[in-house]
Amino acid sequence: MTAGDAALEEAAPVRARRASPVVAAALAAAAIVLGGVFAGAVQSTLLMTLLTQAIITAILATGVGFLIRQNGVVSFGHAAFYGMACYTIALAMRHGVMPIEAAILLALVLPTALAFALGLVIVRIPGVAFSMLTLAVGQALYEFATKARHATGGDDGLTVNLPARVFGVSTSLFQDPHAMFVVSWAVLALVVLALAAVAASPFGRLTAAIRENEERARFIGYATVLPRVLVLTLSAFVVAIAGVLFTLYNAFVSPDVLHWSLSGSALIMAIIGGPRLIWGPAFGAIIFFFAKDMAGDVTEHWQAIIGVILIVVMLLLPVGLGGALARLWRRGAGHG
Amino acid sequence: MRTSIWLACAVVGAGAVASGPAVSQEALKIGVPTALTGTYAGLGNEAVRAVEFAAEQVNAKGGVAGRKVEIKTLDSEAKPEVARKQAEKLALEGYKILTGTIASGEGLAMAPMLARWDAIYVSTINKSDKLTGESCGPRVFRVNKQDAQDAAVVKPWLAKRKEGKWAIMAADIAWGRDSGRSFVEAAKAGKKQIVAELYSPFGTNDFAPFIQEIKSSGAEGLWVALAGRDAINFATQAKEFGILDKIFVAGVSFVTDNTVKALGPISKGVWGIINYSSTLDTPANKAFVEAWKKKYNGDEPTNFEGETYMGMQVIFQAVERAKSVKPMNVAKAMHGGTFDTILGKLKIRAEDHQIVAPNFFGYIGERDGKLRPIITETISAETATPAPTGTCKMAAF
Repeated sequence: MTAGDAALEEAAPVRARRASPVVAAALAAAAIVLGGVFAGAVQSTLLMTLLTQAIITAILATGVGFLIRQNGVVSFGHAAFYGMACYTIALAMRHGVMPIEAAILLALVLPTALAFALGLVIVRIPGVAFSMLTLAVGQALYEFATKARHATGGDDGLTVNLPARVFGVSTSLFQDPHAMFVVSWAVLALVVLALAAVAASPFGRLTAAIRENEERARFIGYATVLPRVLVLTLSAFVVAIAGVLFTLYNAFVSPDVLHWSLSGSALIMAIIGGPRLIWGPAFGAIIFFFAKDMAGDVTEHWQAIIGVILIVVMLLLPVGLGGALARLWRRGAGHG
Repeated sequence: MRTSIWLACAVVGAGAVASGPAVSQEALKIGVPTALTGTYAGLGNEAVRAVEFAAEQVNAKGGVAGRKVEIKTLDSEAKPEVARKQAEKLALEGYKILTGTIASGEGLAMAPMLARWDAIYVSTINKSDKLTGESCGPRVFRVNKQDAQDAAVVKPWLAKRKEGKWAIMAADIAWGRDSGRSFVEAAKAGKKQIVAELYSPFGTNDFAPFIQEIKSSGAEGLWVALAGRDAINFATQAKEFGILDKIFVAGVSFVTDNTVKALGPISKGVWGIINYSSTLDTPANKAFVEAWKKKYNGDEPTNFEGETYMGMQVIFQAVERAKSVKPMNVAKAMHGGTFDTILGKLKIRAEDHQIVAPNFFGYIGERDGKLRPIITETISAETATPAPTGTCKMAAF
């Protein structure tokens, strides 16, 4: 990276910080409207269902990427929070213990609370050890879901019996690819907007400072554990939102939603897209999803193709495809 | 401007009229979401071979009532979640008649989605009773034998065995659990004791802990419900630990035509259910086996290949009768219909869409210098197929 590039990277957050909330909200609103227009224009149900799944995965990747961006640590276990949200709804519906609205709320609260409690213990642990602990937690939940056959249906999964209406809206709407695309796209836009706001806030700057040099931040007088715990909690909350959307759309959960390979895929998406940008992981998720889909049509060895993309991005574009795109845009804007 | 719109309408309309006959000859599109990678990849490849063979055969004769048969296969990894995604993709691309899927969990995951996709699913390998039980529906059919049909064969056989203490080793998925449960029932009826009931995770590599438990349980007989790579791993390791020589072994989908090829002499003397065998002496089957051998360099069709071919026979005849490839019209033709298959004239019950078919029992032995499953007992369709249990509440068409 040249000095000029570094300066550019440094300048970018400053500019983002200066962007007024009005402009940001307008951007998000425009994105949502564009999503609606797009859904109205596209006829193909197949394309819409693929896009909807890609967007839900993009929310998952955004959560994982936010943790990398703010805390500088890598989680191999975010599928735990995602899957926990899925299974919360599935089990609540199976046993009919609460209305769907309460189940959705619980599905957001439980993983978030777990992340908070867990964070108090594990954020102090640096680097690889942190990643391994998240992996262990994720796999523990996965093993539990696979073994607890009577409760979870084991490997065969559970069909989620959703009621006819959710929040007063017909459930079929959440399962219609066009309508669900608009819903998920809007949620993604709001999540990215909210995370950008957090990142630009004093809290966001504090966590960035801790990420760069925890000792120095502590020395200046900041508490350094709680901010990091809160970042982990927030990223788990975002991931739980993706889990809720997934369950509403698919009405089916299986232990795959807890497996480390899902956490790994989310991580790969974040890296391909570029976790330095709030929207980078989402961008990476959409590329990953369609690359996988196209490669999967051609060959059963689609992992190899994704692997090659990952290697190329890591070697040639450490800022990710999203980062490269943003740089091009800035260069173009500079010339214009 | 307005004239040009009218003109466009007229052209499109004329096109629609002109293409009228062609539309009625719409291709029969069959989607195959099946395992091409992972533990059940071997079974998935068998399913694909049978589907492709049947399609090629019928296309060479001018198609099904003039309709060309088109096939598309996607990898489901034998995972319910992936199967749902791939089946959805196939259905939305127009391949709305789905078949050839391996794991029961996959079929059970696809079943509730069929109405949303306007598709039907014809199982040729899924065995879980649930598929034609709780999860049954107008769009779900099973042309292969379910667990209850296998259990009906096992029960009288087990009662006659001299071994008193039995262990169960099954895959921890819908099918393995079903098979284990029915074996426990059969053991009770035959006054046998179950000393160990073990379920291994799908895709287990190291069976040593399970084999140790079987050994220490004092079992004299062992019932195995493992398939694909699970079956091969277990059999190889069980041989190393010496339990295949000491304990009497039988199973379902365990030593099949295909696993025998991989296992060789290890599989000799293992007993089990044989759902289909290329040696069956019916004219239809002989013709099928001859044609198959010609295409696949002298290979004979395996059990899964035979059963999947049967599924294709049923689909083709249903399309002929329905004079349509619309999924619901095909479903109506299948509902309660009787079909000519390589196992004879067989009926698909209207109550639960389960095929009423004969079942077979035998062991792995040498014949014509080759190791293969040899049938010792044939159980007629009526005896082999227990009456519907009433768990299926078939929705109206």
